[in-house]
Parts: sequence; C-alpha cells; structure tokens
Amino acid sequence: MAKIKVRYNQDSIDQIAELMQQYQLNTVCREANCPNIGECYRRRTATFMILGNQCSRNCRFCNVTNGIPQLVDENEPERLADAAKQMGLKHVVITSVTRDDLEDGGAGHFAETIRAVRKRVEGVTVEVLIPDFKGDRDALGKVIAAEPEIINHNLETVKSLYDRVRPEADYERSLSLLRYVKDKAPEILTKTGIMVGLGETEEEVYGLMDDAVRAGCDILTVGQYLQPSPEHYELKEYISDEQFRIYEEKGYEKGFRYVASGALVRSSYHAEEALKL
Amino acid sequence: MKRKNIIVMPKLSPSMKDAVLVAWNKEINEEVRKGDVLFEVETDKVVCEIEATADGVLEQKFFDEGDHIRVGETVAELID
Repeated sequence: MAKIKVRYNQDSIDQIAELMQQYQLNTVCREANCPNIGECYRRRTATFMILGNQCSRNCRFCNVTNGIPQLVDENEPERLADAAKQMGLKHVVITSVTRDDLEDGGAGHFAETIRAVRKRVEGVTVEVLIPDFKGDRDALGKVIAAEPEIINHNLETVKSLYDRVRPEADYERSLSLLRYVKDKAPEILTKTGIMVGLGETEEEVYGLMDDAVRAGCDILTVGQYLQPSPEHYELKEYISDEQFRIYEEKGYEKGFRYVASGALVRSSYHAEEALKL
Repeated sequence: MKRKNIIVMPKLSPSMKDAVLVAWNKEINEEVRKGDVLFEVETDKVVCEIEATADGVLEQKFFDEGDHIRVGETVAELID
C-alpha cells in the first residue's frame, strides 16, 4: 500500500518547537506524530496538549506515550494563554493526555485553561478535545461551565472495533458524553471524530453517524488511520478520496452541521472553519 | 567565498530513529532554493517531502534511494 505524502518544513517546525519549549508546553501535533505538522506549523497553528505528555491509557492506534503521568502544573493554563497570545491565535484548540489517575480526570485543569485563554486573548474562540473522564458527570460539568465554543470528544472508531483499538474506552460512554453536553449546554457545538481504514465497514460508519447525530453532535471529522509503528494496531486499508467524499455527503445527509472528511483530516485540522456555521 | 550548507535528516517525530530514502528530487549540480523539496523519506506513517533548509548547488548526495538514514545524519551538501 502506497503511503500518503506530506510536506515537512524544518524552519516552521523549529519555530513552533522553540516557542513551546519557551513556554514549557506540549503539542499533540508533535507527540502524536501528526502528518499535518508541516502544514499547520507553517500556518503558525498548533493544538496544545495539557496535563503532561504521558498518557494513563494505552490505545492501540495512538502514538502518545503511555507512562507514569506527571504532576499537574498549576501554571500551565497561564503559560498556554501567553503562548496563544504570542502566536496570534484566534481559535485555540486544547487537548490532553488521558489522566485516569486524577480525581476529576483533569477536567478542572481544562476549565482553568479555557478561562485563562479567554481572559488573555481578546475575541478568541476555544475548542477542547476531551477524554471521557470515565463517565464522571461532575468532571464534565466543570468543562461545560467554562463555556468553550466547541467540545470535541472523539468516538475514534466504530463500536465493533473498540475492544481491539481502544480497549479502555466504551462506545456508549463516549456517546453519552456528547449527549450530556448537548443537553446541558445546547449553545456549545459538539464534535466527534473517527479514523477509517481500521477494518470497519461502510455500514458501520453510517451506523456511527446515526448514533452521533442522535446524541446531538454537530460536527464530524473523518480521517485516514495511519499506523505509527509496527507495534500499533495494523492499518487495514487506505480509503479512497471518492469514499471520503461519500462519507462527507452522507454526514451532511444524516444531519451533521459541518463535516470534514479526507485522508489527512484530523480532529483539529482547520478546526476554525467549523465555526463559520 | 563559497559556503557549504549541510542538509541533515530531521527528526520528524519524538520517537523517530531513522527513515528510508525513497526519492531524490534534485540532481547533482542542480540549483536548490531554500524550501524546495530536496528528497523524500518514508517513515512508519507517511512519505515525507523534505525541504532544503538553505540555498545552494547540490554538490553531494550521501545516500541512495533505499538507504536507511538515521536522524541527524548528513544527507546532502549544498555549495552556496
């Protein structure tokens, strides 16, 4: 199978890496080895990853390191806000490693970060890509109370592949998270993303779309799974551009308000465009 | 005075150790501008077009297609 081709620009990578080092911040772009890093860093955008770079879960598809989680850095929200301001970001996307070791899963830290960014950067919009907080509603409530414009929680794959791809997660739990956000705060846009090429069927993808729309989900992203290493979950197929186009059409047909579908689409790829709804 | 510009194999991800050279996009003695795609490497995830980090004439290629290149190794030399 011929691999997807992307462009790598050393200067852009160095500039953003230097900035992140200066503010002692992580990006998921770097930690997850995102194929779009060259393009996004050149556009001077990045997705911040808070709560350290060691994840308490070990999903089979993900390149973020599984390890002993670090102490929560109380000054991180302020530093992130400073970095966002310096970068001139108008739309800030924040994600985290999963922190099952913390009582609230890191939800309070998310909330503080959202507030810090909003305070520091005038007119900014904020999008968070959150873990499932093990279904803890109080934790989720903290994030909702901080009123980000978009709350994203990725379903990642179809239900039948959960055991093999993300064994510590639960499809229904993730769906109910999206539903809860929409019930509690209808004004917040909800978003989910999936990878394809993991061995799912087209019908299963449509089933997932139905489930997500029923949960009130507004935005869908669909992208090609790329296997980070031979040790990760095996890539089953490259999905054709035509099929991605069909997924996009179907997504709109099913009722999503915004759909981004393409081989290199990732959760936060051109994320600000969904706000033009 | 002529200046040598060394192009090294970049570290494309924190866990990357090496990559396979799959194509040269410039010939020896060809003029290269900073930002031009100089060569392509295959990692576990993707094929990556590597841009030249300096201007110059391509003086030397240190690897052939199919070679494994470790992060930080000199891949090419440009004379500016």
